Amino acid sequence: MNHHAQPVLRAHGLAVGFDNQSVLTDVTFDLPAQSLIAVVGPSGVGKSTLLRALAGLLPPLAGTVDRPPDSDPGTRPWSMVFQSPRLLPWRRVRTNVELGLEGLALSREERRQRAERYLEQVALADYADRWPHSLSGGQQQRVGLARALAVQPKVLFMDEPFSALDAITRRRLQQALVDLRRQTPAAIVFVTHDIEEAAVLSDRIIVLGDHPQGGPAHVRAQQAVELPLEARRDHSGFRPLIQEIEALIRTGPRASTAYSEHQANDTAGRFSRPYG
Amino acid sequence: MMTRRRRLLASLTGLVGFLALWELTLRAGLLPGALVPLPSAIPAVLVAEINDGIWQTMVFSSFQHYGIGLLIGSSLGILVGVCAALLPTFNALHAWLARLLRPIPPLAWIPFAIIWFGITPTAAAFIISIGVFWINYFASYSAVEAIDPGYDEVAAAFGQVRLFPRLFKITLPAAAPGILGGLRAGLGQGWMTVVAAELFGITGIGQRMMEASSLLATDVVVVYMLTIAGLYALIDALFVSIQRYLLRWQP
Repeated sequence: MNHHAQPVLRAHGLAVGFDNQSVLTDVTFDLPAQSLIAVVGPSGVGKSTLLRALAGLLPPLAGTVDRPPDSDPGTRPWSMVFQSPRLLPWRRVRTNVELGLEGLALSREERRQRAERYLEQVALADYADRWPHSLSGGQQQRVGLARALAVQPKVLFMDEPFSALDAITRRRLQQALVDLRRQTPAAIVFVTHDIEEAAVLSDRIIVLGDHPQGGPAHVRAQQAVELPLEARRDHSGFRPLIQEIEALIRTGPRASTAYSEHQANDTAGRFSRPYG
Repeated sequence: MMTRRRRLLASLTGLVGFLALWELTLRAGLLPGALVPLPSAIPAVLVAEINDGIWQTMVFSSFQHYGIGLLIGSSLGILVGVCAALLPTFNALHAWLARLLRPIPPLAWIPFAIIWFGITPTAAAFIISIGVFWINYFASYSAVEAIDPGYDEVAAAFGQVRLFPRLFKITLPAAAPGILGGLRAGLGQGWMTVVAAELFGITGIGQRMMEASSLLATDVVVVYMLTIAGLYALIDALFVSIQRYLLRWQP
């Protein structure tokens, strides 16, 4: 991957939240072209909200986002894969993939060809005429991925796309995404609560967490991942990397080692009391 | 579990048993014959009505009132219901008016229908359309209101943000099950008001029933009651097959 290219997305001093109440502040990073940045953190830290602010679906409370311009006809600058696939159940698989292409300068035939090409990329070419409800969860999510790739985005936002799937399917789709990255020029922001998933897929991990002094969450650390993408799980540097990220998430006043030991004792006490 | 065939058989037994009981109580003299007709006499009366050409005239006329009332009531109901759910200002503007007008039963509009339109087919269609309007209005309003907001995000993420693309690609298909449910309920409600709307003299099934009852021709009344039941069953079955086709994407 070319890390020195001009970034396709820049966030500067971004704060997000609801009703003027920040849940997450001071997010600054660059997304280099063709790279994948994973955003990890505990649930409720504002990962999904951050992703929507980056995409422009939600206005940020502070800071700026530079998104790629809408310059190439026949493409869209960005697209998104959601946690639940959110296919339109009243459309067949092919026309679901065509959704983002409608309104672009493409003929009906071009739309159809484009949809079929990306269905092939996610290995679902034979399912083009099926209704979404007849597909498994993993297949539906692959259609969601094809729909997002079909607009040939410069930036692809992925919001915990594999978290609702079973472990085997999740592994398969992670591998499918690793393979896909060789064929697509899109840069990806990938939100997940799964540290291992972040380590398998990304070039860089942004760790979100509570602020030591309380208040809204912030970026705890940014960790570059320099392992080769192929068979990363088997690499000798993989386990140490995970331990490092886990340590980054654990450090801080609320989740210190002492705190978790205390919590463990407390839990044990609570469970033993009624039976003791 | 009952098999399908056994259930069909049981239903048929129930219906035939009811008719037989009705026939036998009359023949045994347990009910006064002038008040209730013999079921076995009904087919002959139907044939006579058809031979005189009365049945066709009445059914055709009622069908016109029904069709026009249904068309106007349903399309206005869906239009206003969808607009109310989509446009907050419009919703606020009409909310109290709707609350005021809703409880007035369609038949209470008969005096105005006569004053405005006279004893005409238009008056009957107007009365029918009122009942149908409210059913479709509430059904489509709640159907649009209940759409998963996740679909709006999909529309925004894939460039379908302008009103019309969003309306036709997201809103209406997503609300279709509810809107079609309202239409179907309106089909039944329409027939109920047809008869009442014609009771005051507009040519149709209702008028013929009123006429017959004043002559104590209860057999003729029953013929038209069964006619309504038959027509409704036919239309409802037809609608359900269209509805199934339109919603074939549902699991």
